Amino acid sequence: MSVTATPRARPGIWAGLFAANMAVIAVFHITGAIEPPVPWILLALNFVLLIPFTRAARLRQEQKGAMSPALGRYNRRVLIAGFAYMVAMLVAANVADAIGTGAPILWAVAVLPILPVLAMIAAMARYLKEEDDEYLRLRAVNGALAGLALVLIIGTAWGFLEMFGLLPSIWAWWVFPAWSIGLGAAMCWPRGDAGLEAGE
Amino acid sequence: MNNRLRVLRAERKWSQQDLADRLEVSRQSVNAIETGKYDPSLPLAFRIADVFGMPIEELFQRD
Repeated sequence: MSVTATPRARPGIWAGLFAANMAVIAVFHITGAIEPPVPWILLALNFVLLIPFTRAARLRQEQKGAMSPALGRYNRRVLIAGFAYMVAMLVAANVADAIGTGAPILWAVAVLPILPVLAMIAAMARYLKEEDDEYLRLRAVNGALAGLALVLIIGTAWGFLEMFGLLPSIWAWWVFPAWSIGLGAAMCWPRGDAGLEAGE
Repeated sequence: MNNRLRVLRAERKWSQQDLADRLEVSRQSVNAIETGKYDPSLPLAFRIADVFGMPIEELFQRD
């Protein structure tokens, strides 16, 4: 029987690259190096990294014996919602400039990217309901709390630093990517690997 | 809480995946229970006892 060695999946690399790109784009925007809608378009294109990230995360979950049918469905739903988010951001960014400030249609354009985010939150709620494996469900809940902790820490710290004029004001929608990064990091954390037998 | 899962599994020559399949949980869950990182709920503990054909108190002991 031949054994094929599978390289260890590293979703953290893709998540780190995604976060680094977001930070670089934000810095360029804050310093005025790039003007709207370029930051929007770059941020939207950054979501292409969700493809290799989701694949690596699924492979890692399989290697760690932490995959379940419910988790597979969750990954698929989040990937679809992520792409919808990317498309919504691209559409909103390109259409917003053509619409006059204060036009009623601008409300609809601004709300457009919120819908896929609601879909991602609904995907998490469905996952927690559908997951039969109580340990995996506990890990997801702990991951969601870790994401919340990250948002609370960054948000509170940024708020005070901004209040004293040390940091500029930023768009508040950073909270969802920050929460997702905290969730993903907590769920991919290599805890529980000790004593884990190789997959078959 | 201590448990004898690893020993009982070894006696039956079951892998973690074999036990996970019997319990309909992930291999990671079996590992977490075996290593004491996670204490199963009462329904899962009863399922484990059923799989090994033993009373629950012979599988799990207090620290």
